[in-house]
Amino acid sequence: MPIRFEKTMAVLEGVCAVEEAESLLDWLKGRKRPRVDLGRCEHLHTAVLQLLIAAKPAVVAWPEDAEWRRWVVAAFPAEMPS
Amino acid sequence: MSDLLGQFISESRDLLEKAAEGLLALEKAPDDGELVNTIFRSVHTLKGASGLFEIAPLTRLVHAGEDLLGAVRAGTLMLDPGTVDLLLDGLDQVGRWLDDLEAAGCLPDGADSLSDGMVARQRALLGAVTAADGVVTVAAGVAQTAAPWLADFSEAERLAAMERALDGARVWAVEYRPDSQCFFNGEDPVHLARQLPDLLALRIAPLMELPALADYDPFVCAVRFQLLTAAPGEAVRDLFRYVEEQVDIVGVEPRHFVLLDGDRIDGPLYEDFAENALGWLERGDAPRLRTAARTLLGLTGAATHQASGLRALLAALGADDCNRPLPGWLNALVEAIASGADPDWTAAPLSAGTAGAAEPAGTAVAIGLDEDSRTILRAQLRLLDSPCAAEVRLGHLEAAAAAVRNILRAGGHLDDTLEGTLAKAVGDNDPASLRAALVALLGVEPAAVPAVVPESASEPARGGGRPAERMLEEVRTETAAAQKVLKVDQGKVDSLMNLIGELVVAKNGLPYLSRRAEQIYASREMAREIKDQHAVIDRIAQELQEAIMAVRMLPVGQMFQRFPRLVRDLARRLDKRIELVVTGEETEADKTVIESLVDPLVHMIRNAIDHGIEPPEDRLAAGKPEAGTIRLSACQENDRVVIEVSDDGAGIDPAAIRRKAVQRGLLAAEAAEALSDADAVNLVFAPGFSTKEQVSDLSGRGVGMDVVRTAVEKAGGTVTLTSTLGGGTAVRLAVPLTMAVTRVMSVDVSGHAFGVPMDIIAETVRIPQARIHSIRGDEAFVLRDTVVPVVRLGRLLDLPETAERPEEEAVMVVRFGKERLGVVVDGFRESLEVIVKPMDGILAGMPGYSGTALLGDGRVLLVLDLKELV
Repeated sequence: MPIRFEKTMAVLEGVCAVEEAESLLDWLKGRKRPRVDLGRCEHLHTAVLQLLIAAKPAVVAWPEDAEWRRWVVAAFPAEMPS
Repeated sequence: MSDLLGQFISESRDLLEKAAEGLLALEKAPDDGELVNTIFRSVHTLKGASGLFEIAPLTRLVHAGEDLLGAVRAGTLMLDPGTVDLLLDGLDQVGRWLDDLEAAGCLPDGADSLSDGMVARQRALLGAVTAADGVVTVAAGVAQTAAPWLADFSEAERLAAMERALDGARVWAVEYRPDSQCFFNGEDPVHLARQLPDLLALRIAPLMELPALADYDPFVCAVRFQLLTAAPGEAVRDLFRYVEEQVDIVGVEPRHFVLLDGDRIDGPLYEDFAENALGWLERGDAPRLRTAARTLLGLTGAATHQASGLRALLAALGADDCNRPLPGWLNALVEAIASGADPDWTAAPLSAGTAGAAEPAGTAVAIGLDEDSRTILRAQLRLLDSPCAAEVRLGHLEAAAAAVRNILRAGGHLDDTLEGTLAKAVGDNDPASLRAALVALLGVEPAAVPAVVPESASEPARGGGRPAERMLEEVRTETAAAQKVLKVDQGKVDSLMNLIGELVVAKNGLPYLSRRAEQIYASREMAREIKDQHAVIDRIAQELQEAIMAVRMLPVGQMFQRFPRLVRDLARRLDKRIELVVTGEETEADKTVIESLVDPLVHMIRNAIDHGIEPPEDRLAAGKPEAGTIRLSACQENDRVVIEVSDDGAGIDPAAIRRKAVQRGLLAAEAAEALSDADAVNLVFAPGFSTKEQVSDLSGRGVGMDVVRTAVEKAGGTVTLTSTLGGGTAVRLAVPLTMAVTRVMSVDVSGHAFGVPMDIIAETVRIPQARIHSIRGDEAFVLRDTVVPVVRLGRLLDLPETAERPEEEAVMVVRFGKERLGVVVDGFRESLEVIVKPMDGILAGMPGYSGTALLGDGRVLLVLDLKELV
């Protein structure tokens, strides 16, 4: 399972395909302050990335992969990783 | 030819047909929006698929057609007959190119200019060249305007990109707005965009405010990508070639990255600086300018317009040890710093820095390698970098060195130093030195070499494979959704049919076996069991045969599809008004039968248009409606398919036909007079008969209806013509539904068995010897008040005659057209359904035989072609 849902945090790992967008949306809908961990994420399908742009969750960890981190950061220009 | 190309060709033909058909329908119903959409989709799919192959002229032509259709769809272009002509011409040309592709695997010479000409004509209809071909203009290096969204990038990003551009790289600004429904096609825009090499900066932003999560639809794509890349333009266009219309690719000049921002401040400080700076620029004194600018920047508030200008200036000057030429537009930048205004680039002269920004600088430019060579060299670099076992490594090294040597030699760049380096690298088994030499040649940092996308990232979503595969998959899913049809090579079906034929023959051996079991081994029970099994296998074999026949059956509508176009074009050319009414398209017949009828039908329809339907004024004078009607109908009658072409035109004048026949020497005058009118009009089937005095563009080239008759008879059919003078003409073709299985009657002659096709046998009779009369050496007998000539098959085949003639002769009465002939044989045997295989090898040219068939007991039956024999 590329997404592990915890109480207030979703851990996205590996490659998240378009199918994950729906379950992530359901999870996000029920959370007031959702957080996401992208540390071990290698790729997000556009649908998933776009959902994150719309939901603006707090990103607790940015992708370790430097090239991919650029792309995720590019989608969240306001939130630069530390 | 690759499978992919083959599939592309066959699918493209379908798409072309669909589009052409749609266009004709659209001409009649110009307001049918759904129709426009259908045509547009066909052309669009064709364009997309064509991008997979190196057939740019074809793609361009289809693209132009798509744009025209797009304008029609948007309502900005009226569809008049001229436009339809132009579009149909374009589709025809694409069709011809597909033929060339199939035959030669590439487009013929001159395709480029041909395509350009046609594209220009289509574009001319659209008026000005629209924004849709922005990509094309970029390729030609014309568009130089900066994308307005460059301002969305941070200053640091812009200045870094500018430095890359000043270092000689061509920087492209790519805006990619994926289709909102693209997820459903299995597309992942992020994945696609991630493959863009040499990315300098990027933004991913929603196209609009994304809805709240409660109303959020996760499957609608609503983001756009803004990317800056220093990759070669070719590579960029290549990457986005399937989503061409969703992408804008614009080349950016270095100065376009300079966007000054911040509060403007005045002061003599900046004017003084500008005065000095212009002097330094003129003398090319970069170090002093750099020092002065740094000092001034230290004195200026960071968030000011001037500071932003100074930062741009410093970035353009580069680091202390940088000695690239100073771009001419720095003058304008310096003046802008002094005045606090935006830089006036129009005043800036072009300099080496901007003009020479085509390719990365370095050794590569110095020795002028072309793009192809660079690609190959880059591939060698990748080869050297690929992980492999030690023993393979030397092979890689040798191969790479050889490739590099050849490339350089071909370009005339190979000198002794390089040659030495290459030889030494191989001799010492030292990939690192070859690698270094390559990097120097290419003038790139190793990191800039596009790496192969890691496997894990290339499968993020369904259909997210490499572009070529994904395209194919898309095409496949589309086809699957539209119709569950399997496209199979006809040869495969034919070989399946042959196998079934052999199965039938093998099955027919079982009764013989059963008889042997009973007679020789005296086992009745065994014999009965074999018979039971035979019955089962027989049933299955019959069903198999029917099933394979059904596979080969096609609706005649497929053949009829081409006729509306033919009628329209010819009618337009002849200034006639003609309506084509088609009925019975769903009637099915064997594929080979249908194919054999295409040419005769085309000929008949041409005749109807050219000779049949009168010009409008004549029709009005004759009290007929102005527009003529040609009816094309098909129906099934027993085991035959009947196709009729009728018109309500002038009809055929029997008197004129008689005159002509006599004139041509086909008949004696008295014989012609004796003919009934109905028989006279059928004279048009005589070889070399053509009634129209003037040879026209369309028909009447001397090859007349006899060609039709020959073709139809070859398919085992018959053709008849009826005509009323002034009322119209109808030509009726009747052909067997299938040519695969032939019913033959087997006959005995001098101890040999021969097969005679059942369809020519009128009846079989036994005639007492006394009733066969000899008339001047030829034999004949009277059958129901008609004299029927008689031939003896044994004599025709040169077989020894039996010594005594029986009391009664077995006579097979065969029919050739309207003539009848009695054929004397020794005896009749059973009638059989066989698969006749044509003679091949050295027997192929033997006259009198149409082929062979295998019998159940393993014997070979020769099937006669009686018409050729007598």
